[in-house]
Amino acid sequence: MKMKRIIALAASMVLMASLAGCGSSASASKGSASSGSSDSSSGDSIKIGVLFSSTGSTALVEKTMTDACTMAFDEINAAGGINGRKIEYIHEDYASDPAKCTEKIKKLIEQDGVVATVGCYTSASRQATLPTLKDDDSLLIYPTYTEGEEVHPNVIYVGCMPNQQATDFIPYLMQNVGKKVFLVGSDYVFPKTCNKQAKALIEQNGGEVVGEEYAPLGQTDFSTICNKIKDSGADLVYSTVIGDSNTAFYKAYKQYGLDPAKCPICAIGIDESNLQAIGADYAEGNYASMPYFSTLDTQASKDFVEKYNEKFDDGTVVTVLTESAYSSCYLLAEALKKVDDPTDTDALIKAFAGVEFDAPQGKIKVDEYNHSTWLYSRFAKIHDGKFDIIYSSDEAIRPEPWPAVLYPKYKDTNFMPDWNDPICYPQ
Amino acid sequence: MLTFISQIINGLNQSAVLLIATLGLLIIFGLMNVINMAHGEMIMVGAFVTYIATSILNIPFLIALVLSFVVTALFGALTEVTIIKKLYSKPTETILATYALSIILKEIARIIWPLSQNVNMPFPGTISLGGVIVPRYNIFVVIMAILLLTFTIIFFRFTKFGKKIGAITQNRQMTECLGIKTSTIDTLTFAYGAGLAGIAGCILAPTTGVSYDMGSTYLTDSFMTVVVGGVQSLIGAAFSSTIIGEGRTVLAGVSNDTWAKIMIFLAVIILIRFKPEGLFAKERR
Repeated sequence: MKMKRIIALAASMVLMASLAGCGSSASASKGSASSGSSDSSSGDSIKIGVLFSSTGSTALVEKTMTDACTMAFDEINAAGGINGRKIEYIHEDYASDPAKCTEKIKKLIEQDGVVATVGCYTSASRQATLPTLKDDDSLLIYPTYTEGEEVHPNVIYVGCMPNQQATDFIPYLMQNVGKKVFLVGSDYVFPKTCNKQAKALIEQNGGEVVGEEYAPLGQTDFSTICNKIKDSGADLVYSTVIGDSNTAFYKAYKQYGLDPAKCPICAIGIDESNLQAIGADYAEGNYASMPYFSTLDTQASKDFVEKYNEKFDDGTVVTVLTESAYSSCYLLAEALKKVDDPTDTDALIKAFAGVEFDAPQGKIKVDEYNHSTWLYSRFAKIHDGKFDIIYSSDEAIRPEPWPAVLYPKYKDTNFMPDWNDPICYPQ
Repeated sequence: MLTFISQIINGLNQSAVLLIATLGLLIIFGLMNVINMAHGEMIMVGAFVTYIATSILNIPFLIALVLSFVVTALFGALTEVTIIKKLYSKPTETILATYALSIILKEIARIIWPLSQNVNMPFPGTISLGGVIVPRYNIFVVIMAILLLTFTIIFFRFTKFGKKIGAITQNRQMTECLGIKTSTIDTLTFAYGAGLAGIAGCILAPTTGVSYDMGSTYLTDSFMTVVVGGVQSLIGAAFSSTIIGEGRTVLAGVSNDTWAKIMIFLAVIILIRFKPEGLFAKERR
């Protein structure tokens, strides 16, 4: 009898623990970690929210984004601030939990009175802020690469859209690597939406999709997927696998006898933080596409990497997300310089149209219409555990939230439906 | 057909991984009735020991395997003496204490190694068995699983020490009356269970990488395997890990990984609904 109780107890605990692992961390801190001075009556500073997790499952990535924001705002303040006014940034931790994200954005806007917020990492956390942003008429600058097919009037998307990763990358692969493509991804919305576009581009460039498989998030056994790739006779694997699963995937890939020299993995979901764990042997010869790699050989990029590493010597590395969070802060600062009253959200949103910044990746610009950002397209071949950049677009590429290759009808309307169309964002 | 055979062989590897990850829990949970929420983190400790030994100190993998057992077992003994010993009669408190321990271990690991780390594959390459390509490392994993299982069975069934543990599991007070020091045996058993978790970490490390959050994946799987197999049965754990591992791989072959996972969980729920004591339950008084 007692045994049964213990089993029941164990079962419920395990269930709870695995749920906790899924995102919400019950033990997360309730207190607000705020940086900068907390004097709420200082009329002279401009308040900006920084909303990234310091605890929970995605805390590691988001920590580097918080750090990048701190670095950017400190630099902006040191250079004189916004038209003579200092920036006061207030950091809130939403503990990798979308529900908490709603609560925190409310707190930032309603209690702290921030004029805008730089933040959010997963699509789920971003979407959790949308109703509040609309009700309170505030602004979110979102730095993560995203699957697109969403444009919210109160969000500026600084992360890249799938078209910026794929439109140059896929034709290159078709011409130089092979035509038979196997699509592999993690099983959720980002990989599936990106692959929809990838499929269209592959067919447009005379290629052929010979298989498509999705692994549950956090999967560590890729033997079945590797077998299916082998049977398909693919020339290359187009991967949208996300996170630490990549380690298991790249290792299994070679372990099961697939050879990157003959059939490389071409990924749009890996960055510098994955490379170390995969190991130089197993990453060798595979491709990746991102707007920015920390190996980019320009002065701006080298300075940025050096500054970051000097300031945050904590084992983290600069990735496209660090760069994007940093640029988000500067774009916001540029937009703020153009408005007379920072609390006027409508004016601030208008000021974002066409705002430019010399980012570590090169000159980027917020699109005049669709709230997304013109970014570079770059791809790299992995060699010696580093990204060897083999292609950089000459200039930043226009973002297409609704890519022309899938939605030709939006081609003439700035790659998005009308602002009043309910499909613009989740209502 | 070749693919199907290859799937079955891959399934063996997954079953072996599952069994290795489960053995430590089976001993601590099954024999000692301690719900060890830190089991996953003990796997992590073993994995980090392997990382430090092979990647930083350049010690050969097989020695790292022994080290990961020893270090994690010592850590387990320490945990037992300082925390678990006082809580044997209080399962709820044990859960809290071990859960807290798991968080502490995880956060310490995160501070030191925020990024996932690499352990080099000790036996790279593949061998071809009549057209089916099998990674060498998988063969090693299967052999290790069989060895660990055999050794553990012999240890608990046929040695004096093992018989004492059996006696304690059945009737603690009576065993004490017979002059057996139950306290020492508890510590050693817990240490052995923890050491097995450490070995699991070592064996997993080259394929999945080593990261602070690797434990949570295996905690659920291990508990599932233990419950399906029957809480005190080593043979049961071998069967249930084979069924779950093969089931998952073969189903993933015909549908996909996500569906395979759903079907297996569904099957487990149905099984414990009708046979809550697991497949190989021991008669209990």
